[in-house]
Amino acid sequence: MFVCSEQYDVVVIGGGHAGCEAALAAAKLGAKTLLLTQNLDTIAQMSCNPSIGGIAKGQIVREIDALGGAMGRVTDFSALHYHMLNTGKGPAVHSPRVQCDKKVYQFTFKHFLELQPNLDIMQDEAVRLTTTDNKIDGVLTLRDTLYHTKTVILTTGTFLGGTIHIGTVMTPGGRYNDMPSNLLSKNLSTELGLHLMRFKTGTPMRINARGLDYSKFRLQPSDNPLQPISHFTDEKEQQKRKFLSCYITHTTLATDKILRENFQRSAMYGGNIHSQGPRYCPSVEDKIKKFPEVTSHPLFLEPEGAHTEEFYIQGFSTSMPEDVQRALIASVPGMENASITRMGYAVEYDCSDPMDLYPHLESKIGPGLFCAGQINGTTGYEEAGGQGLMAGINAALKVQGKEPFVLRRDEAYIGVLIDDLVTKGVNEPYRMFTSRAEYRILLRNDNADLRLMPHAFRLGLLDKTYEPAFEKYRALCDTLKNNINAVICEDPDLFPWSAEKARRHADIHHKYEGYYERNKKDAEKLAEVDAIKIPEGFDPSTVRGLLFESAQKLREVKPQTLGQASRIPGVTPSDIQLLAVHIERFRRLKHVANAR
Amino acid sequence: MQSTICALASGQGGAVALVRLSGPDALVITHTLTSKTQLFEPRRQTFCSIYDGKNILDKALVTYFKAPHSFTGEDVVEFALHGSPYIIGRTLELLCQSGAVPAKRGEFSQRAFLNGKMDLVEAQGLCDLIAAGNQSAHRLAMNALDGKLSGKLSEIKTKLTELLAQIEVRLDDVDEEMTPLSTDFITQEITAVLTAIRTLTDTFSVGRLIKDGLKVAIVGAPNSGKSSLLNALVGFDRAIVTDVCGTTRDTVEETLEINGQKIRLTDTAGIRAHALDVAEQEGMRRSKRAMENADVILFVLDSSRPVCAEEKQLWQDIQTQHKRTLIVLNKTDKPSSGKIDLENVTQYTQFTVSCKTGAGLNELKNTLTAPMNEVEKDSLLISNLRHYEELLRAQTELESALMQLTKNAGGEIYAEHLRGALTHLKDLMGEVTPDDILGVIFSKFCMGK
Repeated sequence: MFVCSEQYDVVVIGGGHAGCEAALAAAKLGAKTLLLTQNLDTIAQMSCNPSIGGIAKGQIVREIDALGGAMGRVTDFSALHYHMLNTGKGPAVHSPRVQCDKKVYQFTFKHFLELQPNLDIMQDEAVRLTTTDNKIDGVLTLRDTLYHTKTVILTTGTFLGGTIHIGTVMTPGGRYNDMPSNLLSKNLSTELGLHLMRFKTGTPMRINARGLDYSKFRLQPSDNPLQPISHFTDEKEQQKRKFLSCYITHTTLATDKILRENFQRSAMYGGNIHSQGPRYCPSVEDKIKKFPEVTSHPLFLEPEGAHTEEFYIQGFSTSMPEDVQRALIASVPGMENASITRMGYAVEYDCSDPMDLYPHLESKIGPGLFCAGQINGTTGYEEAGGQGLMAGINAALKVQGKEPFVLRRDEAYIGVLIDDLVTKGVNEPYRMFTSRAEYRILLRNDNADLRLMPHAFRLGLLDKTYEPAFEKYRALCDTLKNNINAVICEDPDLFPWSAEKARRHADIHHKYEGYYERNKKDAEKLAEVDAIKIPEGFDPSTVRGLLFESAQKLREVKPQTLGQASRIPGVTPSDIQLLAVHIERFRRLKHVANAR
Repeated sequence: MQSTICALASGQGGAVALVRLSGPDALVITHTLTSKTQLFEPRRQTFCSIYDGKNILDKALVTYFKAPHSFTGEDVVEFALHGSPYIIGRTLELLCQSGAVPAKRGEFSQRAFLNGKMDLVEAQGLCDLIAAGNQSAHRLAMNALDGKLSGKLSEIKTKLTELLAQIEVRLDDVDEEMTPLSTDFITQEITAVLTAIRTLTDTFSVGRLIKDGLKVAIVGAPNSGKSSLLNALVGFDRAIVTDVCGTTRDTVEETLEINGQKIRLTDTAGIRAHALDVAEQEGMRRSKRAMENADVILFVLDSSRPVCAEEKQLWQDIQTQHKRTLIVLNKTDKPSSGKIDLENVTQYTQFTVSCKTGAGLNELKNTLTAPMNEVEKDSLLISNLRHYEELLRAQTELESALMQLTKNAGGEIYAEHLRGALTHLKDLMGEVTPDDILGVIFSKFCMGK
């Protein structure tokens, strides 16, 4: 065994969308950080669709960006196609989505990581976490190298015990042709005692654009003008770039017939997969099975890059055997003569029950162990990135002996996401929707900077040089919110913001003013109960008079605040009333004890 | 921000009742019930009128305690009201309409404790109180909402959840391929839910009557036989009956059961234009208040003599009350004096009775209880103020949603109101989380990615 002489503060295991943000954030906050990944060339790989953003996810990217994360900036750098979703509806639900060049995306992200001070990157596979007195103190790799560390962030994606399914063919893999991490999975469940669950997700086939009949597609051009997804991208310069188009087609009755005749041959319905997949991202065989009345489903062709003819077919995720996949492609208008370059597949993987986590993403089972991304039962690059960022921040704060950083449900979609995960748990892969947010009017794409940058500057996640421009922008927004007719003029000192951005934001704010206030008022009530911390040493489940089911739930979830307790399904307002009194009683008793 | 809570703080049934209001808006809410210019000096009793719209509901002693020098440590206003269940109930209703919420069991004490106004020993008792309330309220909520009402509410909730899911799924439509909902369809669906809720809230007036009893004020000129009518209805001599005018100087209250319904009769002092002494004047003031508080006014006339000036004056007063009024022509055992000379009197239902012989009393009884007896047995009635308040709030949200629809507002806006309406239903009957809506979405719509 080789023991690395470096004493790390944070070791991040996994170089996907969660791991990359986690490593950057921790290093930025001054923690000595190591990122371990099996393969440096698949860092920040987009294993599924070649796009970042989408409904509610776009807002998350804006939030990550406002908190100093890299996802938004890398997206703009590798952008091939911009599309603001939901523009037919109100601005509160406008969501940016950007098609990216996959290769450019991952190499750009890798470069970001390489340039980050305090961050080491190492190509190796973690196989075991070492502990002393149940506290994490090191990571052992496949090469038998030991890294000493104070904390570990697990961002294993679909790699823990990953199994790939194409029809009845099963191969080990976290992604097609990439080996799974089976040793680590075993260590986590048997030695550390993590409660592992099994989830499933899938991806469609990719095709070669050569031979496509574009006359049968509907064109979806890139937005013109476009809005960059990162707050820091030069909006004017970005317009000048070259963009590619996406195309829309649909499945046919022939597609339907092929799927029906071959149901039993799919991995999903043939009996090989028993784990839970996402209801909202169904495979095409799922769609036909569950919605037989719908005879045509839309398919979206998205370019995989600027230097490849490969297209991703959104809506065609499948675990059918190869011959069926070939027939499916031939049944779609415009794709009759297209050839498949990569097969669609389903992947099963281990994830860990997020109810075992505190809201700052540290595990209740092993102090010093943090989890983020798909291991917590989510799907999506954005959901992963948001959690990774928060885990990275909190691991660093822990090492520095500082208070954890937790976002409230009225502050960010990231707050909604993590609160849902740790309070309610998951029984299928979790994807963000705007309907999950009770304060939707507050959590908009246009105000992510105003919502979160003050936190970022305070914590040191953003370069201080941006602060004067931000403050200027904020003041300008306030002026316009107070008086929509106020005369404002462009000012180069505002860059990367602009008077035009302020105007856009203020217009949206005015549209929702009454609702904004209403949401704010509700949120204040929430903040009040969320501010009541359940003190250390106080076990809420011992409170006499609680409903039996509530006591049980409280024991399981171990809520950190009274607000979190109130959001546990089944806990009644009277339970909360009772807890409030007991917490105060506990606090006073302790005060009396300390005085003696 | 803390809510402002209200509840009856004293027991019910005494001559004086204490209603307590606590929270940041206590004073503001109090001003909506008294006059806006009324000054309340902290820890001083103020004698003032409590208004129900333009009418005076009661004259009360109101005391304002400024935070933190109060029982709960918050701004508190205490109303010492006359101990009539109607006055108490109506005051609480008015407070809720002005923004207060009914207090939970032990909530005043809880706030007192949390604000450092109570010691640990006292807190233990408080915990027991809430704990007992938790178990029993949980059972009660299960039972109270059991059966038809809970069935109806969950029907409404399901309909609303499904409509919201239809709207939300379009807000979250990743592919942007879903056909938009037509305004007509949404309007129609919201209206259907609204109608169902209104049907429930409309039963509150009758539901409350059945629960609290129908308040009947017997009014009339001196010696027209009001007390005789009360006695005849009650069945024994409750009020003192003499031939001397103005014998009944106080109001006499009696609760009785007629046709299975609770009736609260108030016999009032005869109204005379020129009251003889102070006691009689006070009695007459109470009579007027009894009329104001009544659900039904029985106007008793002596059919053996012509209508007098006092009765004409009284008739004017009765008509300004805009209440259900029945004309009772008493003493039909004596010869009639002929036509009743009162304006519009033919538009009112008239009964000819003889308290002496009992003739015509049954018809009067049947008419009195008709609205309550017409309600079908086991039909859905809202009689709980809290339920009524929540339903009203849900109703208001749905009305706002409809208004936003006419303005062509986006789905995310009327969804706010539908979410609000659902929250109120949730408070009534248990959890509705965004997951419920997503559950409907996933089961009913094919969502791509």
